[in-house]
Amino acid sequence: MADLMAPEANPQKKNSKLRGPRVEYLAFRLAVDTYAVPIGEVREILKLPPVTEVPRAQREVIGVVSVRGQLVTVVDLRQRLHLSATDLTRRGRILLVNGAEDEIIGLYVDEVLQVYRLAEAEIEVATNVLGGKLADYVVGIGRPETALLILIDLRPILGRADPENRDAT
Amino acid sequence: MADMGDKAREEFFSEAHEIIEALSRDLLQLDASKDKGPAEPELVNNIFRAVHTLKGLAGLFGAARMSALSHELENVLDDLRLGKLDLTQRVLDLLFRGVSIYGRILAVEKGVRTDSLNDIDQFSRELGELSDVGVGPEAAPQLSYELDPGLLAVLTEYEEHRLRTNIEQGQSLFKLRVIFQLATIDEALNSLKLRAKPHGEIITYLPTGEGADADAIELDILMASQVKLDALRSLLGNDRTKIEEVPRRAGSKDAVLIASVPHGVPTPFPAARHQSSVPPGGSAQPKAAMTERRSVLPKASATGSLAAVEVSLRSVTQTVRVDIRKLDLLMNIVGELSIVRNAIGRLTEGVRKTPEMREMSIELYRLHRGFERHLADLQSGILEVRMVPLGQLFDKLARVVRQISREADKDVNLVITGAETEVDKVIVEELSDPLMHMIRNAIDHAIEARIERERVGKPAVGTIALNAFQKASHVVIEIEDDGKGIDESKLVKAAVRRGIIEQSEVSELALREVLNLIFVPGLSTKSDVGELSGRGVGMDVVKTNISKLGGIIDIYSEPGIGTKFTVTLPITLAIISALIVQVDGRTFAVPLSSVQEAIWLDPGALRKIEGQEMMTLRGSTLPLCRIRELFGLTLQKPSQARPYAVVVGVGARRLGLVVDDLVGQQDIVIKPLGPSLKHVKGFAGATELGDQRVALVLDAPALIEEAFRQGGDTTKGVGTYG
Amino acid sequence: MRRILVVEDSVSTRSFIRSALESGSEPFDIVEASSGFDALRLLPRGPYDLVITDINMPDINGLELVSFIRKSDRHRSTALLIISTQSSEKDRTRGIQLGADDYLPKPLQADVLVSAVDRLLSSRPVANG
Repeated sequence: MADLMAPEANPQKKNSKLRGPRVEYLAFRLAVDTYAVPIGEVREILKLPPVTEVPRAQREVIGVVSVRGQLVTVVDLRQRLHLSATDLTRRGRILLVNGAEDEIIGLYVDEVLQVYRLAEAEIEVATNVLGGKLADYVVGIGRPETALLILIDLRPILGRADPENRDAT
Repeated sequence: MADMGDKAREEFFSEAHEIIEALSRDLLQLDASKDKGPAEPELVNNIFRAVHTLKGLAGLFGAARMSALSHELENVLDDLRLGKLDLTQRVLDLLFRGVSIYGRILAVEKGVRTDSLNDIDQFSRELGELSDVGVGPEAAPQLSYELDPGLLAVLTEYEEHRLRTNIEQGQSLFKLRVIFQLATIDEALNSLKLRAKPHGEIITYLPTGEGADADAIELDILMASQVKLDALRSLLGNDRTKIEEVPRRAGSKDAVLIASVPHGVPTPFPAARHQSSVPPGGSAQPKAAMTERRSVLPKASATGSLAAVEVSLRSVTQTVRVDIRKLDLLMNIVGELSIVRNAIGRLTEGVRKTPEMREMSIELYRLHRGFERHLADLQSGILEVRMVPLGQLFDKLARVVRQISREADKDVNLVITGAETEVDKVIVEELSDPLMHMIRNAIDHAIEARIERERVGKPAVGTIALNAFQKASHVVIEIEDDGKGIDESKLVKAAVRRGIIEQSEVSELALREVLNLIFVPGLSTKSDVGELSGRGVGMDVVKTNISKLGGIIDIYSEPGIGTKFTVTLPITLAIISALIVQVDGRTFAVPLSSVQEAIWLDPGALRKIEGQEMMTLRGSTLPLCRIRELFGLTLQKPSQARPYAVVVGVGARRLGLVVDDLVGQQDIVIKPLGPSLKHVKGFAGATELGDQRVALVLDAPALIEEAFRQGGDTTKGVGTYG
Repeated sequence: MRRILVVEDSVSTRSFIRSALESGSEPFDIVEASSGFDALRLLPRGPYDLVITDINMPDINGLELVSFIRKSDRHRSTALLIISTQSSEKDRTRGIQLGADDYLPKPLQADVLVSAVDRLLSSRPVANG
């Protein structure tokens, strides 16, 4: 599992995907940094509905919520990315995204900022300078105007729901 | 079509799935009938057509592996139906393997399964070898009938082959001229087919283009039979069905034609000419008209025919296929509505207590009752749509029995009763693996080899019975074999050796408890009990799967006589009654099906034995499980009141779940937790209780299992069956 | 609008044909029949400009249908397109001999189907509905 996400191989692959016309990214805040994912990956942005915690679930699982009758598992993206997490706040939002096995996952982020249209030239492809866990999912750095966006790939983040595997990286 | 839509894909999968199931049924029938004489041509042709259609579909939807497999299978089946290949055991085995490979390919295409499918190439090679040994093109035998070239031209290669084969076998040919009303043609034709089947083979149907108006159609049916003309007339004839025998060739070169007379040669069917019920204005020489390009424009009676055509059009499709997820969605809406219903109920209660609103409260009460009733109807209506007969699953199991018994070289007869019993589609799907597993165990380990069976005086062919029946709101499925049964002493020894029970407890165990050891994880492993007991490989997994469906599995066995597993399942999973409880301000639901009673916890009755809390309930010991501690809940709201114990039981085991408060009883819609939470044990899912709040549904069987596994020695054998 | 009768016992193949035809520039009135009998039932609603039929069907096969249509004055100007697998060459030849205008091998390809249909229809006047 971990080998597939090796820092040498992975960012290169993602890199080729980013070539071409401008891509729209949704920027959001996690702790103190700004992150972004292609807007196409986000099905919906929600305010946090009442969450029911699930005992015995992985630490990063905040709980389950009901979205129009559908049960959605809410994951704290900060914890999933091993960032320091604070309490849930009023500005916090849930990004509904497609997880593994057709599951809809709610990703908790601290704040949703704005949509950026990034040209290829504005994206700095991640190199293996970024060691360790970050390299698993950081695709590149976006630099529109004065902002600095950490572009992340949700697939490795969502694909490995299994807690044992996650820690093995 | 690269941009094939999801809907088209769904349609493709659903049709392919249906065809594969029908294919499997036909193969089983073919297998069952092969000892009773030559294979029924229609059956073989149906199988060919199924594969043929699959090939077309696979090509259309770019399913390359399925396409390649179909191609090879089609060749074999084509040879088979054209008599170029004999139906041997080897051929049958390959066909059955083909069906199971189809199933796997479909699963891979759908993405529900990963499978290298490496063995397909090998399989295709084996198939290829089969069709290579075919005897080559059919040598056209001298026909004792001179067939009209016009007729031969419209026969497919297969129909021509069947015609020749029948003539070679000395069958006589008959022509049935029948007028069908278009509106009822399907039923009428099926009934004719059924009546004709015991007496011969129908080769083809030809629309004559004659003798009918726009509401009706006249067909010539060519049939081969050994029955004499008079007998056939009395069997099948009526005033709309005229039967003639096609004369044999008189030896001269003069053509005796069976169907039509292209160039003014006198028709050999004088009788038919007069008997045909030709409407006024129709042709007086129906058959001769066939190749004369006569007008078949609607005749005088066409007036009013449009309505009939409309009716027949509408009757073409009476069923729709529905994605089960759409039904889930509808069920969710019903769930939401029941929340509304509950709210209105509370409101009504409130209003009733206000004296000045008395009249309104009566009206409100009436409305509420009406709403409740209609909602219940809606709910049961949707549930009914979800129900499918167990027969679908049993057909699949029959195939498994056949395959495994061949692999294991054992003769096994499968007896099925109650295939019509209906269960929720989702349950049927989830049942497939556990039942298949039990059947595999029965054949591999329980049914003795033929020699052994004969030695102990049993019938040489073993029997496995699958019985299904409904019992109140549950469905019971029994899986019974007449194999060697379970050797209790070996089971007990294995359990002691693995530390699952103490030697000292052995004498206290009842037979039933001993047999239930087979479901304990770690005990039922192949190296150990599997071989010793004859049953039990992976039975813990089977039990877990059945518990997940809210079911119970029980076992009864007698050494030398056989073993019977009884699986009891709820008919549907969609809506259940639940007891709503609270622990630390958190709400949980406990399915009522596993709740026996709820009692106040009497602090005086509590005891602790080796760390396990117990209480005495009417003379017997009840182990307790504090939900707060089990789930490591942090205290949100300290409870002042005296706690309750909700007594849940599955099979013979009971456990008291300690909770702070009982909120009440409510119908809930259980929704499964997402795949990312599948490793979280102890919850059967979650449900919405209203105001968007989600409550987790406790999985009582799993909690009991857990308590009894972890509870240490005290919960093992002591008084838990009281 | 040109009317087309599609005779084919596989529902997804019918849908495929329908969506292929609907993807072309010309709008068609497409009627589907799931068997030879169904086709016989639907023929009186014609005449159709084109009948597309599978050969290998139970009871009334595609060849019988072709023969029936070709013998009928009412459907004289109807174009006939048969579809069949590569393997049943013999059946296909019979179809052409019986008066089918063209055949297409299965598996069907949408663009091939559309151009065959265009070709068959372009030389014909619109049948009177």
